[in-house]
Amino acid sequence: MMECDQAGPDPLGLYDPRDDRDSCGFGLIAQLDDKPARATVEAALEALARMTHRGGVAADGLSGDGCGLLLKQPERFLRALAKEAGFALGSQFAAGLVFLPHDDADAARCRDTLRKALAEVQLAVAGWRTVPVDAGACGATARANMPRIEQVFAAPLIDVEGARPTPETFRRALFLARRRATQRLQDVPAFYIVSLSADSIGYKGMVLPSRLPQLYPDLQRPELESSVVVFHQRFSTNTSSRWSLAQPFRMLAHNGEINTIAGNRAWAQARAHVWRSEHLDPREFDPVIETDGSDSQSLDAMLDLLEAGGMDALKAMRILVPPATQSLEYKDADLAAFYEYYALNSEPWDGPAGIVLFDGRYAACTLDRNGLRPARWQLTKDRHFLIASEAGVWDVPAAEVLRKGKLGPGQMIAADLRDGRLLESDAIDAINRARAPYKRWLRQGMTYLHSELIDPNLAAEPFDHATLAGFQKLFQLTREEREKVLRPLAETEQEAIGSMGDDVPMATLSQQVRPLYDRFRQAFAQVTNPPIDPLREDCVMSLATQLGREGNVFADSAETVRHVHLSSPVLSQRKLRQLLAMPPYDTAYRYIELGFDAGTGIRAAIEGVCAQAEAAARDGVLLLILSDRRPRRDQLMLHALLATGAVHQHLVRNGLRCAVNLIVETGTARDPHHFACLIGYGATAVYPYLAYQTLHDLGVRGILNTKHGEVAQIGRSYRRGIRKGLLKIISKMGISTIGSYRGARLFEIVGLDREVTELCFAGTPSRIGGAGFAELQAEAEHLAKIGWDNNALPEIGGLLQFTPDGEYHQFNPDVVQALQRAVASGTREDWARYADAVNTRPPAALRDLLALDASKANAIPLDEVEPIEAIVRRFDTAAMSLGALSPEAHEALAIAMNRLGGRSNSGEGGEDPARYRSDKVSKIKQIASGRFGVTPEYLVNAEVLQIKMAQGAKPGEGGQLPGHKVNALIARLRYARPGIGLISPPPHHDIYSIEDLAQLIFDLKQVNPDALVSVKLVSHAGVGTIATGVAKAGADLITISGHDGGTGASPISSIRYAGTPWELGLSEARQGLLANGLRERVIVQADGGLKSGLDVIKAALLGAESFGFGTAPMIALGCKYLRICHLNNCATGIATQDDRLRAEHFTGLPERVENFFRGLAEEVRGYLAQLGARTLGELVGRTDLLRQVDALAATGEKIDLSLLLAGDGLAHGGHCGTPRLAAANDGLAAELDADLDLVLTNALGGSFAYPIRNTDRSIGARLSGRIARLHGDHGMRDAPIDLHFTGTAGQSFGGFLASGLRLTLEGEANDYVGKGMAGGRIVIRPPRDATFVACDTPILGNTCLYGATGGELYAAGHAGERFAVRNSGAVAVVEGVGDHCCEYMTGGVVAVLGRTGLNFGAGFTGGMAYVLDLDRDFVDRYNHELIDILRINHEGFEAHRSHLTDLLETHAALTGSVFAQRILDDFRDFLGKFWLVKPKAASIESLVDGLRRAA
Amino acid sequence: MSKKAIFDFLDRERAMPARIPLQLRRDGDWGELYGRFAAEEAKQQAGRCLDCGNPYCSWGCPLHNRIPQWLELAREGRVIEAAALCHETNPLPEICGRVCPQDRLCEGSCTLNDGFGAVTIGAVEKYIVDAALAQGWTPDLSQAPSTGKRVAIVGAGPAGLACADRLARAGIEATVFDRYEKIGGLLQFGIPTFKLERTVLDQRHEVLAGMGVQFKLGVEIGRDVSMQSLIDDFDAVFLGIGSYRYTDGKLPGQDLRNVLPALPFLVQNGRLVIGDDADGKPIAGWEDQIDLPDLRGKRVVVLGGGDTGMDCVRSAIRLGAASVQCVYRRDEANMPGSAREVANAREEGVEFLFNRQPLALLGDDAVTAVRVAETRLGEPDARGRRNAEIVPGSESELDADVVIIAFGFQPEPPEWLAAHGIAAEANGRIKVAPKPRGCAKPSSNALPYQTSNPWVFAGGDGVRGADLVVTAVQEGRDAAAGIAKLLLG
Repeated sequence: MMECDQAGPDPLGLYDPRDDRDSCGFGLIAQLDDKPARATVEAALEALARMTHRGGVAADGLSGDGCGLLLKQPERFLRALAKEAGFALGSQFAAGLVFLPHDDADAARCRDTLRKALAEVQLAVAGWRTVPVDAGACGATARANMPRIEQVFAAPLIDVEGARPTPETFRRALFLARRRATQRLQDVPAFYIVSLSADSIGYKGMVLPSRLPQLYPDLQRPELESSVVVFHQRFSTNTSSRWSLAQPFRMLAHNGEINTIAGNRAWAQARAHVWRSEHLDPREFDPVIETDGSDSQSLDAMLDLLEAGGMDALKAMRILVPPATQSLEYKDADLAAFYEYYALNSEPWDGPAGIVLFDGRYAACTLDRNGLRPARWQLTKDRHFLIASEAGVWDVPAAEVLRKGKLGPGQMIAADLRDGRLLESDAIDAINRARAPYKRWLRQGMTYLHSELIDPNLAAEPFDHATLAGFQKLFQLTREEREKVLRPLAETEQEAIGSMGDDVPMATLSQQVRPLYDRFRQAFAQVTNPPIDPLREDCVMSLATQLGREGNVFADSAETVRHVHLSSPVLSQRKLRQLLAMPPYDTAYRYIELGFDAGTGIRAAIEGVCAQAEAAARDGVLLLILSDRRPRRDQLMLHALLATGAVHQHLVRNGLRCAVNLIVETGTARDPHHFACLIGYGATAVYPYLAYQTLHDLGVRGILNTKHGEVAQIGRSYRRGIRKGLLKIISKMGISTIGSYRGARLFEIVGLDREVTELCFAGTPSRIGGAGFAELQAEAEHLAKIGWDNNALPEIGGLLQFTPDGEYHQFNPDVVQALQRAVASGTREDWARYADAVNTRPPAALRDLLALDASKANAIPLDEVEPIEAIVRRFDTAAMSLGALSPEAHEALAIAMNRLGGRSNSGEGGEDPARYRSDKVSKIKQIASGRFGVTPEYLVNAEVLQIKMAQGAKPGEGGQLPGHKVNALIARLRYARPGIGLISPPPHHDIYSIEDLAQLIFDLKQVNPDALVSVKLVSHAGVGTIATGVAKAGADLITISGHDGGTGASPISSIRYAGTPWELGLSEARQGLLANGLRERVIVQADGGLKSGLDVIKAALLGAESFGFGTAPMIALGCKYLRICHLNNCATGIATQDDRLRAEHFTGLPERVENFFRGLAEEVRGYLAQLGARTLGELVGRTDLLRQVDALAATGEKIDLSLLLAGDGLAHGGHCGTPRLAAANDGLAAELDADLDLVLTNALGGSFAYPIRNTDRSIGARLSGRIARLHGDHGMRDAPIDLHFTGTAGQSFGGFLASGLRLTLEGEANDYVGKGMAGGRIVIRPPRDATFVACDTPILGNTCLYGATGGELYAAGHAGERFAVRNSGAVAVVEGVGDHCCEYMTGGVVAVLGRTGLNFGAGFTGGMAYVLDLDRDFVDRYNHELIDILRINHEGFEAHRSHLTDLLETHAALTGSVFAQRILDDFRDFLGKFWLVKPKAASIESLVDGLRRAA
Repeated sequence: MSKKAIFDFLDRERAMPARIPLQLRRDGDWGELYGRFAAEEAKQQAGRCLDCGNPYCSWGCPLHNRIPQWLELAREGRVIEAAALCHETNPLPEICGRVCPQDRLCEGSCTLNDGFGAVTIGAVEKYIVDAALAQGWTPDLSQAPSTGKRVAIVGAGPAGLACADRLARAGIEATVFDRYEKIGGLLQFGIPTFKLERTVLDQRHEVLAGMGVQFKLGVEIGRDVSMQSLIDDFDAVFLGIGSYRYTDGKLPGQDLRNVLPALPFLVQNGRLVIGDDADGKPIAGWEDQIDLPDLRGKRVVVLGGGDTGMDCVRSAIRLGAASVQCVYRRDEANMPGSAREVANAREEGVEFLFNRQPLALLGDDAVTAVRVAETRLGEPDARGRRNAEIVPGSESELDADVVIIAFGFQPEPPEWLAAHGIAAEANGRIKVAPKPRGCAKPSSNALPYQTSNPWVFAGGDGVRGADLVVTAVQEGRDAAAGIAKLLLG
């Protein structure tokens, strides 16, 4: 995702090491009265060391990914250093750390350049000092990259003007000098100014946190005192990461990832031409902010720039990373206006972000709108403010703590050192709100387009039949698309669902002319950042689009507001017309026609359109309308996407983009992906006239089955469908607002030549070439020919559904029937026929362009090749859940794989315990975001635990099981209700970042130390970087899935447009792992559309040693590839839960599946003999045995796969199926293991006590794993073990707890408490000597009880965000919760005795909750879609009343909660303020029944 | 429009339209056996379609008809659109709906044919087109302005008609020559009316004429008009000349009285049934002297198990035969005739004798018996088909008053072919360039169905040997595309 830069190591093939991502632990400590102290520095160093588990370590085991400190200028210390170095400092000085090249001459040039830049702003170098360093603190990797480190001191040339600069002018001067020096030294990559400031000084390096003071002995000096220290520990995906990318940067440190970074950087470049202040003209700097390096670095540079332009941190940071503002409108209109005003000329920097910063006055922390990173703070009685990723990194006695808190989503907190006060979010809002009369300005300048409830003008001038048909052909709107894509959008207001993945050739390989959009693959978030949930958390998302000229963010005035507000970028005809009739646009719009003469040539046509656009912008035109609405018979049509990309890029480069809005009037835009492409390449808004015309035609013919049954609503329904689809696409990338997506180019192009991407789509990865302008022109000619040929029939389509004369399908009837014949007969001849049908097909996958090159090989006799039995062990069946599959089919796959010695995968639906330890067990157990049925016993009955980060058919989205498939069995295994649909959240709520993945892997290894942990990824540019990070996070096995995989149901546009071929991803992962020395640490698996032995061989040569198969074994079982899995009516009884179909029509036999894998292995053996290899392992990574063949001569596409083949061949193997050693078990977990060994073995019970600290993670998980193994999930229910802990627990306290374990914690806990718990009890209470008010104070972190299936949790304090998400059985009492509580809950009981955050109960379909609503605003805070809230104090609720009382009494007794006791004492007063929350679908009676059963 | 009920394929039985009651058939009712769906029935039956991702029906259809797509339109009651879509791939859909052996093609391939009962594709196709034509719909040629090109088509059988239809749609004027007085070829003269009522052909004749297709009926090329004049007067020629020479089993006694070749038997009967002049223009010149015996009360034996055989046995039933036996040398599973036809024939009283090889026809003047031997199936040959081997010592005799021989047909190329540079195979089949299969690219520059004379194309039984109506339609259709490409670029 990140852009490439000139610096840094060269890419290896597809893997680009500069594609760097990070994540981390962070924090700051500030003394509110600005009293510097050594103790403050010590505390920061200690805290940093205690977050080592959040960082990454390179393959050498010593080189950390980087850590550092940013300290408020330690004046006394610096003066001492200067004195030692032999120079004096005046009253005003700046100091900073500088990384320099080792070459003396280069270093001297750097120093000199900086000196000159300082002199230009009337500053002088007071002196240079060599910083003492101990390189012994570094690992070998870090040492190799270590720069020369010096310190520079600068001071004003006071004699020049006769007056000292003010602190502001001094700051600005330093900024200019630093930026100018850096700009002038772009050719010296080693030159880097860590900091240069009068306010602060930074130290950073690529070491483990505990070694930072060793690296910089300065940090050990007692004179080093400060009042503010910001610190950071990095987890980078890239082990040869650069020193300069360690954090903090000059102002901030960032934990998380900026998902919108590509767009942010591009817009910064565009806006450099508009933004201006008295003292700053950003055009001086190119790039205006750093575009290489990390996202965090760019964010720091942007904050730096805004402050240099005159903003303070409270304003700048809130503009850059705003909270979700939609709900603000009715709460605080003035604050909403502040955000809306600045949104006119900036877009959010969005993504998981915990940011700590210090700018000289404010030491602050802010969180992204989704609250995806944790931040816990405390204020002590001696007025120290401390905030960090975790609680427990400081040892502050409880009695010293004045208050504690945690930041919520979109909140900011700041210590104001000047005024000595702590500003919480509300106080900061108050400051911002009052800066200017934003609301009045907006009222004067903003126009909201009128939108009638019913829009009759879907198409005011309908096309006649012939015209419509002509347009449809010209723009390739096929009958299939009309019926299967457009119609469902208009009829159901959402995208159609399909099944079984995508089996047509990539567009670039196709023999057919395919829409240009097919060459664009949507980017999606995996591992290093999470997707957002557009279904349940849409409250943070927005498609709002402003039209108008962008203004100068530094010039606050009413004048800059002259905008039109659109609720979405999808225009109706009516809105477009309104707009064009409205001043000032009525005289300031211009159409640019996209038709061109064939003789001109497509490249010249694009350049012509760009020139027209530039001219228009210079003429003061505000709306540029790129249009293909008026095609001419004698012309070809330029594709709107080519035009949009080129024009946007051209205008940005010329500084004109902010002056105009780009409207695209096109027949090419019909489905959400089309809109996403156009907007992603710069369109402001899109008017899809042909979609409207087509729907209008269907409507007037009475064909559409619209929701409202009226023709007039069609357009609106269609737009709703598109909007949902757009939200899904941007959320997949973790982006919340369309503003941040616009122009962000979040795609990978598969199949365009460099000449095209450079002119139209620069900055988008496109790694194998493809069509150039000549081919695109030929396509345009083809379309014009059929479009204007009245006699040409409308195209039928054939992309979704096989048509015999249409696009090739890999699983066409021939292949399916040949496979079924082969596995039924088991003969070599039938297998050969099947293999031939696959291996000689027209090019459909990239591997079809690669042939085996046996020229260098010495063939060996077949009998010297390893036997079938050895090869089949490398085969897995891909994850398919019970639920998607019938039990019969699911078990048949398991039986077959167990007999063969391969492995079947449970999928994400849990597994019937009856299958454990039988021949039906799935050896791979999947852990997906829904966590259905994930219990300790489930986890211990596995050889491999697979974390599904993404799936090929719909990366970035969660699975969905429609209600009609949830029968009694499925409901039991998933801990859900029969008949109610189940959705897996798009993100794993415990993985928002790479360090979170490391934590989940740690959790799983605690529960089942014998299992391999596997992480399933989907191929996309950057997956090599992700794979490297995943390997560093401790995974044993990485699966790279192709886009074509997928057996379950997915939205059609996800099936078709997301993910890339596994050949790309596998190669990139191979190269990335090799480059980082990590290849030997993991097993790599390829998965996606593998069918034949030849496929297996090619995957092995590209680097896979294990192979996953989804569809082919299903077909062996009898699946006919009907692609109706989502309907539950699978006629082969495989993908259905229907009793009749399963009983009477399922004919699958495990033997057929065995025959498939044996046939495959035998085919593999043949190739091994041919290549002279005795084992498959010998061939892993031997890309030298592949060569590209020219199979695309007919279409002219110029594909070059040499990047895939790059990198040394690597022959190794043999660890398939051999678990690697688990990480050493130490600390408290080891102590517990030893102490409780006999107790567990003999199920004795007992009571024990221990101290605990934040580095003791996943306490209870290991014990639970043992219990589950020895006695089952609930086997020790009657022999409880009481464990008492005192202190702060690390993450995942009580995770995956089994029955019988009763944990009591006096102190507090971090994130993921009780995650996946199946039984047992967790009690958390504040320290006895605490003086803060417990019921107002956080005591648990985020995402607690995620996926719990049972057990109890009582905590006397607040829980964080997403409490009890996906709870399906646990009972919990807490005293307050953050946002999204009880999300996706399907069972259990949650009582909240205090304030809840927003969006309570989204997706809540089972279980119940009690909420105490003292502020009487719960009605605004719960999600109304699926739940009802009821009062408990009338008749008929006796059972609930006594249930609530029981819970309160238990809670009070176990936690000593003062507040619970007060409620009990005054129960009559409080009862009327409780709400009972229940799913709309559940009756009160059923809830009572549930209570009775539970009792 | 109603939403599709996804379990209809399970909840609703496959049902064909009501048939003419058995007794009437035995009493000589020659009307179309299957009636027509009522609108609601058609919707319901069409609604059983699963709309598979792999439409095996379409794959199994030589025309690759858009079956799931028009079934969905039929389900929604969009009959006009459905009919238009039927015509996109099939110039003669109502005819295929009636005469295709669906159980071997689309319906045989239908996913639901595996234990659920295939969708009644043929009956729905018939319904769609009949209903649309009854509503006055005709193919829309408004977008096909005349190109001024003219093509001669020799033969008004399914291949020729299909070719004419496509050419008309391409704005090419087609003139169809046929030596008989009516269009249809074997459709008109060979297929019994209980499968295809002649009004259907009349209607199609009107439709084609309405599309601008010219017909020159009763004109025989090589006798009334020379091939040279066609080549001179037209831009291209399509030959759809059929396959009429019947396969000679060389059975001893095949010249005995009351031994009838199948085709003349069917033709003459057909003419009688529809009231045409039974002595109309003879078929193919050689069989005009057939003496059609009255079958009433006779024991009839039909030799051969193809579709023609089925037409013969069922015609014999309707002609009042006392008994009808069908003799076939392989077993039932290997019989080429449509299973549906076999079932109908059985129901109507036909007795099937499988694994019997006829050896000779016995009798002095008229035939009295057939000598047969029992067979068993040997090993599969190269094409996977298992040949019948005679079981030694298993001979027996079947009494017979009338024997009808239905061993199939072969093309009999007219003499003038070679004179115009049109090459034929040794077995008489006209040589044409192949149609590329699936996604494979064409192997030569020749257009599909182009003969060795580039201005002459050919298709149908004259190229393939006796085959199905639907394959003839497919070849005529695809040849037209080649002709259009040749003429229009």
